[in-house]
Amino acid sequence: MLEIVIYSAIIGIIGGGCIAAGAARMFHAPEIQSMGAFRTLGELNACNGDPISHFSFGLGFFFSSAASAVAAGAMTQDVMHRIVPNWGAAVLLAKNKKVEETLHNPRKMMLSGAVIGGLVVVFLNTVASVIPEKLSTIASEVLGPATSWLINPVMPAIFWLAAVDAGKTTGIWGTVLGGVSALITGNAVPGVVLGILIGKSAEENGYKSKIVQILIAIVVILFIAIAYFRGFFGQF
Amino acid sequence: MEDKRSFGQKMDEFLLKDSTFILLIMGAAAAIFAGTFMYLKFGTGAFNDISIVAMLKEGIDTGDYAAAAAFAAGFLIARILEGPLVGLLDIGGSLQTGVGIGLPALFLSMGWDLPFSNFFVALLAGAVIGLVLGAVIMIIRKLMPEGVAVGGTSVMMGAGNATGRYLAPLIVLAAASYNVYAGLGAVIGAAAFYKWGKEMTGGAILGAMIIGGIFI
Repeated sequence: MLEIVIYSAIIGIIGGGCIAAGAARMFHAPEIQSMGAFRTLGELNACNGDPISHFSFGLGFFFSSAASAVAAGAMTQDVMHRIVPNWGAAVLLAKNKKVEETLHNPRKMMLSGAVIGGLVVVFLNTVASVIPEKLSTIASEVLGPATSWLINPVMPAIFWLAAVDAGKTTGIWGTVLGGVSALITGNAVPGVVLGILIGKSAEENGYKSKIVQILIAIVVILFIAIAYFRGFFGQF
Repeated sequence: MEDKRSFGQKMDEFLLKDSTFILLIMGAAAAIFAGTFMYLKFGTGAFNDISIVAMLKEGIDTGDYAAAAAFAAGFLIARILEGPLVGLLDIGGSLQTGVGIGLPALFLSMGWDLPFSNFFVALLAGAVIGLVLGAVIMIIRKLMPEGVAVGGTSVMMGAGNATGRYLAPLIVLAAASYNVYAGLGAVIGAAAFYKWGKEMTGGAILGAMIIGGIFI
């Protein structure tokens, strides 16, 4: 138990601090490299520097993250994407309403993000690890089949249709690589994802562009390596 | 020469330098990679959504990590190429999925569990991965000509977000076929969370756990 608390605190402080600083840098991009997400940037702007909005926005995701952590040990992407930046901002904005001096300042966001990150990660991991065994059995009995259906065949179908809807080039790359991937790895999703990547890049930049050629090379090597290690070539 | 700036001002300046990004991504990658170590060791702590963590779980259960590794590699490659071009690295695809799920799946599929031998090794391994990614991003930033773009990330993200929506109905179906109380709980939880405008997935699981926990 103590181990979980200490490790969680370290993870939350380092990760929360760095990601909150990266999020503050979003307001200075593209001149400097930042990290976060466009939707995070949009959501931070939407809260308009109001600490209550930032806090309640984060709170909504905190509940769903807690449910997910308790059920499957998955804290969700929202901890770092939404809870840490928004609660970090809320703490700073409660004292000073000027976003330029708070939310946009990587040093202040790093400090508040580290504190929030540490608290949130410790809380979620502790709660998830103390739930009674009976409840975690129910959770895994329910989540097991649901997630395995999701992984196959629901996800392949969703990604496949997204590729097909994104134009002929992307559709063909997605279809071919998805099929190859289903043969080699047993799941079409990796292939469809890479197909979307290649197809869209080819459509936008043409096959002569370096980036498309590099992508195709990476994908070919990736699949040959996977096929080799999984003994795919022995099936012929 | 006496430097008149305070420590805070120097720190502000340092954190707004382009190359400081490498330090930040190292910290972020270390935390996320160590989060996956927590998940492997304690069963909780992965920084990703249930549907994606499930792919890693499937690898742990069956020993077949190919799907998780290749899936996450797609997101990692896309985001690492896109990040430097727009000046904003998406941590969801690159770090949380790529570093948190893809690389661990890749390492474990090769039977290489050294990075997961203990917490501090995992933290260090994550920092090294972050250093490599940060360096690659900085190099791409310097070298990449203007106007070249990696396409498809919006299509991938759209599909990724659509996937999450399917989980709630699937959970209700799974709960219903597992046990009548779990099923009833899932239905009530999903309906209540939908009414309150919260993620139905969480409601379905919590409902199944609460009603199931009381009556089973």
